Amino acid sequence: MRTAVLLLILLPPMVAQDLCKESKDGFKVRLSIKTALGDKAYEWNKSEMFLFQSTLAFAMRIHANRSNQETNYNIANILVCNDTQRVSFVFVVTSPDDPTQPIPKEQVERAVRLSKHRINNAFLLSDMTLEFVGIPPTLAAPIKYDTPPWLIVFGVVMGAVAVGIMALLMSTVSKRRRAKDKAAGFAEEDGGIVKENGTSLSSLKGKDGVYNQAFSSDERFTQL
Amino acid sequence: MSKEARPSWDSPMQFVLACVSYAVGLGNVWRFPYLCQMHGGGGFLIPYLLMLVLEGIPLFCMELAIGQKMRLGSIGAWTAISPYLGGLGIASVVTSMYLCLYYNVINAWSFWYLFHSFQSVLPWAECPVNSNRTGYLEECEVASPTQYFFYRETLNISSSIDENGGIHMGQALCLLLAWIIVYLFIVRGVKSTGMVVYFTATFPYVVLIIYLIRGVTLHGAWNGVKYLFTPKLEQLANPQTWINAATQIFFSLGLGFGSLIAFASYNHHNNNFERQAVVVSLINSGTSVFASIVTFAIYGFKATFNYESCLERMRLLLLNTFDLSEETISVENVSSWISHLNYTHPERFAAIASKIEECSLEAELDTAVEGTGLAFIVYSEAIKNMPLSQLWSVLYFIMLLLLGMGSMLGNVTAIITPLGDLEFLSRRLSNETINGLVCLLCLLLGFGFTSRSGNYYFTIFNEYAATFSLLFIVLIEVISVCYIYGLRRFEKDIEDMLGHRPNWYWKLMWAVVSPVLLISLFIFYIINYIQGGTPTYQAWDKHLGKSVVKEYPVYGQVFIVLLLMSSVSCVPLSALYAFCRRKQRGAPVPQQTLGTLSSDM
Repeated sequence: MRTAVLLLILLPPMVAQDLCKESKDGFKVRLSIKTALGDKAYEWNKSEMFLFQSTLAFAMRIHANRSNQETNYNIANILVCNDTQRVSFVFVVTSPDDPTQPIPKEQVERAVRLSKHRINNAFLLSDMTLEFVGIPPTLAAPIKYDTPPWLIVFGVVMGAVAVGIMALLMSTVSKRRRAKDKAAGFAEEDGGIVKENGTSLSSLKGKDGVYNQAFSSDERFTQL
Repeated sequence: MSKEARPSWDSPMQFVLACVSYAVGLGNVWRFPYLCQMHGGGGFLIPYLLMLVLEGIPLFCMELAIGQKMRLGSIGAWTAISPYLGGLGIASVVTSMYLCLYYNVINAWSFWYLFHSFQSVLPWAECPVNSNRTGYLEECEVASPTQYFFYRETLNISSSIDENGGIHMGQALCLLLAWIIVYLFIVRGVKSTGMVVYFTATFPYVVLIIYLIRGVTLHGAWNGVKYLFTPKLEQLANPQTWINAATQIFFSLGLGFGSLIAFASYNHHNNNFERQAVVVSLINSGTSVFASIVTFAIYGFKATFNYESCLERMRLLLLNTFDLSEETISVENVSSWISHLNYTHPERFAAIASKIEECSLEAELDTAVEGTGLAFIVYSEAIKNMPLSQLWSVLYFIMLLLLGMGSMLGNVTAIITPLGDLEFLSRRLSNETINGLVCLLCLLLGFGFTSRSGNYYFTIFNEYAATFSLLFIVLIEVISVCYIYGLRRFEKDIEDMLGHRPNWYWKLMWAVVSPVLLISLFIFYIINYIQGGTPTYQAWDKHLGKSVVKEYPVYGQVFIVLLLMSSVSCVPLSALYAFCRRKQRGAPVPQQTLGTLSSDM
């Protein structure tokens, strides 16, 4: 009688250990707490393990909720073994209805990938420092821009340069026009004005007189 | 005739800054540090400075003297020296044209990187994720993010020169921008160029000083600087060191392109070019040394970062394989743990033996890179690891742009000055139009470099278009000035301009030392080319994630030969043409009086 009671008490954990060690549906987990947190690192102990088991049960519940399945996962359904100094261990998830039946690997993988962010945050770790061996992390989606930022900067610079060229060409054109007007102005001075003796008072621009090119020493026109 | 007087620089300072801006270019930043590293660190300065004195300063001064005396671009100046030498000027213009074509592509890349620096995460800092977000793109995994960004996103390079593809639109836009800016700088000739060089000559130094301060305060920078300055004097026995020193001085000063002649042609007759030549050459060499200190500080930082990452990877590998607690192995005792674990657990160790890497700081520092690889891959990798990397990235690429644009000013001036001097062109078109047409032509031809195999053609141009032809041009230049024009006449011209004759140093260098050096360099190049066998190039293999060596196809080799011959052959062909025209005219034309243009033009 006593042996039967003893067996009954000791059997489940023994079975559980066997399930964890031999199951092919288990995943190895590795935590690098010191690397991630340095001085603020916490000790890995049974309480932290408890947190892990509960977080994983939470992840399984969320996943099951999504696919409208049974969601009674509990801490007892997360079996942990092969605990090492590295802080790495193997876990297996068992079905809430039948504790001897492990959940298939793919389902566990999907559940973990879905809630990886929550699991990371529970332990203040990241994808690099909390590894599930065999489950690739879901990388952050690349930011999508409507207009790539480089095009915006390019547009700004191109606009500034275009304005510069316009200004330059305008000043060239106006300079040419002024030079042409100056040259044409001397030729047309006498046209349309009443002349007396070949000159007209109004053609004399004030007391400064008229610029006579023949006597200028402007280098522009006399060159050897 | 109402021809305007030749425009001139507003002050001698503008001329000096223009020469500095032209001579101090990308080569000072990405070629000199590489040569220093290859040829024994600090010891390389000995052949470098020796060559500067023997060949650099005298040839620089000679080109300035010619330009200032003749007051014409390269074609007119050489025709004035001797009617048969007009081809020398044409060869200079052709070589400058080739240089302009491919040099501005580098500026386009600098623009591309500069514009991409305005993002919260630099695009070359991380690999892009693959379609189902489980990992990174394969090409980026095998290479590195910076290499991936350069070869795939910037160039979209094909796997060999045969495979062509479309034009990369982003590159084409950046090239368009680069050429518009160049046009803006040179549109009014020296009037506009003179304003711009105040900025392009001085601002790179501001950035270099900022980078020097940032560089030496980086973790591990001292390793790099120490590596640079420990001289390995045994390298001096290697003849390659001396040859590389001579060629570096030669190309760094930008001799033979006609830019110096063009710049000097806008000087006043009595400008003291002798002193300016010495000043500019020394500034150029000093900048090279300064830039290599900055480069090696950054190398040291990058090498230390990689070394420490390697140690960290090994540490994690050991921890994970042997399930040890994190505190047992630290970064410092990784190597002792490796040997210990190999001894105690040989079987388990053998399982991971293939993943164990030798982490060596020396090996990281030894990886010498030059050229575009240094500027766009190595430097960007170092920058992405700095704090505030966007700021440093923007500063760095602005500096590259200024250096490149400053050199472009000289390159384009070397083309437009002789073209502007040609009577039949300047009569029909205004200067602005000629300048615009040159820029437009170079832009259209430059679009070829933005295609998928464009980088391979870029490499052809970079290695062959300007190297051999320049040696030939400058050799003929120095021989014709000393022996055809006559050293005595040249001395008299200089006395006329400066008020005193050149002393024995100049005469000795011009007449004897420089020609001998140039002839030996010339012969060395020919021997090297023949001995090298089929020319090869580095092609990017996207599956391996690194460059592989391939041989040029036949049409590639023909193209190389055409490039070389097209500029070099201008000299004999033009001399022949002048000779035939003379014979046609009958009586031989008397020796040219100084300062008048030959009527053949």
